[in-house]
Amino acid sequence: MSSSMYDARPAGADDPFEQTPLGDAADEGASEGRVFTVSGSDWDVVGSSDPDSHIGEERIVVNMGPQHPSTHGVLRLILEMEGETVTETRLGIGYLHTGIEKNAEYRNWTQGVTFVTRMDYLAPFFNEAAYVLGVERLLGISDQIPERANVIRVMLMELNRVSSHLVCLATGGMELGALTVMTIGFRERELILDIFEAVTGLRMNHAYFRPGGVAQDLPSGATELIRRNVDLVRSRLHEYEDLCNENYIFKKRTVGVGYLDLTGCMALGITGPILRATGLPHDLRKSQPYCGYETYDFDVATWDTSDAYGRFRIRLEEMKQSLRIVDQCLERLAPGPVMVEDKKIAWPAQLALGGDGLGNSLDHIRHIMGESMEALIHHFKLVTEGFRVPPGQVYTAIESPRGELGCHLVSDGGTRPYRVHFRDPSFTNLQSAPAMTEGGQVADVIAAVASIDPVMGGVDR
Amino acid sequence: MSAPFEEAVLRAVLEPALGEGLLEVGTATGTAYADIAPHRWHDAVGAARDGLGLAWFDWLAGVDELEEGLRVVVSLLAPDGAHRGHGVLLRTLADRSAPQVPSLVDLFAGAAWHEREAHEMFGIDFAGHPGLRPLLLPDGFDGHPLRKDFVLASRVARPWPGEHEPSGRSRRRNLPPGVPEPGTWGAGEAGS
Repeated sequence: MSSSMYDARPAGADDPFEQTPLGDAADEGASEGRVFTVSGSDWDVVGSSDPDSHIGEERIVVNMGPQHPSTHGVLRLILEMEGETVTETRLGIGYLHTGIEKNAEYRNWTQGVTFVTRMDYLAPFFNEAAYVLGVERLLGISDQIPERANVIRVMLMELNRVSSHLVCLATGGMELGALTVMTIGFRERELILDIFEAVTGLRMNHAYFRPGGVAQDLPSGATELIRRNVDLVRSRLHEYEDLCNENYIFKKRTVGVGYLDLTGCMALGITGPILRATGLPHDLRKSQPYCGYETYDFDVATWDTSDAYGRFRIRLEEMKQSLRIVDQCLERLAPGPVMVEDKKIAWPAQLALGGDGLGNSLDHIRHIMGESMEALIHHFKLVTEGFRVPPGQVYTAIESPRGELGCHLVSDGGTRPYRVHFRDPSFTNLQSAPAMTEGGQVADVIAAVASIDPVMGGVDR
Repeated sequence: MSAPFEEAVLRAVLEPALGEGLLEVGTATGTAYADIAPHRWHDAVGAARDGLGLAWFDWLAGVDELEEGLRVVVSLLAPDGAHRGHGVLLRTLADRSAPQVPSLVDLFAGAAWHEREAHEMFGIDFAGHPGLRPLLLPDGFDGHPLRKDFVLASRVARPWPGEHEPSGRSRRRNLPPGVPEPGTWGAGEAGS
């Protein structure tokens, strides 16, 4: 952006910024175009109020966002319209760019989790999982992860899928004017965040998964809490179906809106509910299982309408399937370690919360401070310098609520990542917005973007 | 259950199509990859799409390989067939002084944003891209931040509060990660 837009400079003939986009029009009204004060009637009527003008056929540019409540985050939409028909959709992103990929190159492999959990802030466990699975594959310890750690990971990821889908339905409903869907969506999400808070100490940005396992074992009483809240959430899921499935207004806003077929999905790299709404049952949990997903019993939800309504129905069904998986996890939780045996990789993973609010493992402290000088040195080296990861590259992908979340890691053999790249599904899926919205109306843009469910933290990273 | 791609399958399709342009085929941690000469990049991706059934664009990214050049990696997936849901990585190395590779946008429309991101982060020129504008970085941003020689200037300019010598006897200040030695970068006493 040119700074001269803000400069107070005298108007001169040689100043290029004096030229307005409409040429050298003298009066202000002409330079801004005609101004209409519209208080709610059809554009046809407004445009035909002045019979001499052809304003009804003129092209208008509508700038929506980045602070608009219905653009699903800090997303800027630039819509070119003829009448009420959108002829071109352009997207402005980057408002949440935080340079996570660069920052991760300056921290050791374990610390990287703290960065990546902040990308897609509605699905933090998925970011962590994609990253730690990549590090574990580079280390060659994928099959040494304890069973209990894997079950905890799967359980938290599936709970996270439910909470993420709830936000999608809630904000999506709000954007369509279904405010009750928003209030009940956030009500149920709260129950799941209570579980996250009990298990990890935080409602978001958990940094709970670590290369080799998880940071903490489940606290006492966690399984009872999970069981109770999951039952409560399950007993309320029918409310979304009752409110929306056959709701006349909701269907009018979503059926046939945001259409994208399988060919379009392939060319654009679309995954997740958008892809499954075309009827393709692609789910990485089935096609490339990780964390032991092949041993769980669940179905892949699909729909065949390729529109916003189908995506909504898929998300509803996926929440039920996720709760099914959580039930199976609770049955499988057997006592055991939650971190790999290898002390060269495992950070101390059994911390107890002390009176000062800091996590300490008393046994571990006794060992390193009182019993073994070597253990102290080892602990110091592991925590300050980190472990070394063999040189190589790896791409790991998992099925996040929004689609394929992948992590491309490159190691040069050091204690820090050489390159961390995230293939975030929001980034890739958001590219489909023009294909979904061009030719439709402005109101359909809202419904289509809501059905993509982009999370700008993931788009911009 | 579908099977991952094997090196032989990859070689059988790419070698006739590319000849000398195919530099190497290998497998890295379970995923087959092929290294392509940069001038055959577009042909290679086209051959993979049409010959191997890799019709599903996954992602594209850059890696700064220092003196070797700037690497471009693209991941393609097979939507159906024997390898359904599995993919391969195609890689190429662009010359660091004038990094240019052909754009893939005409093959996969979805590559547009990925190439724009790689363009602004690494300065790679994707020839034939219809609108190679910055995507994530603010207007007027100078430099290519994911290149290894890009220094995080704000870290240099601001004193680092978290890193100090407890004894207070150290002769020089510890530098935060990613900040070069004073005098080797920027103007004058940047680190102090």
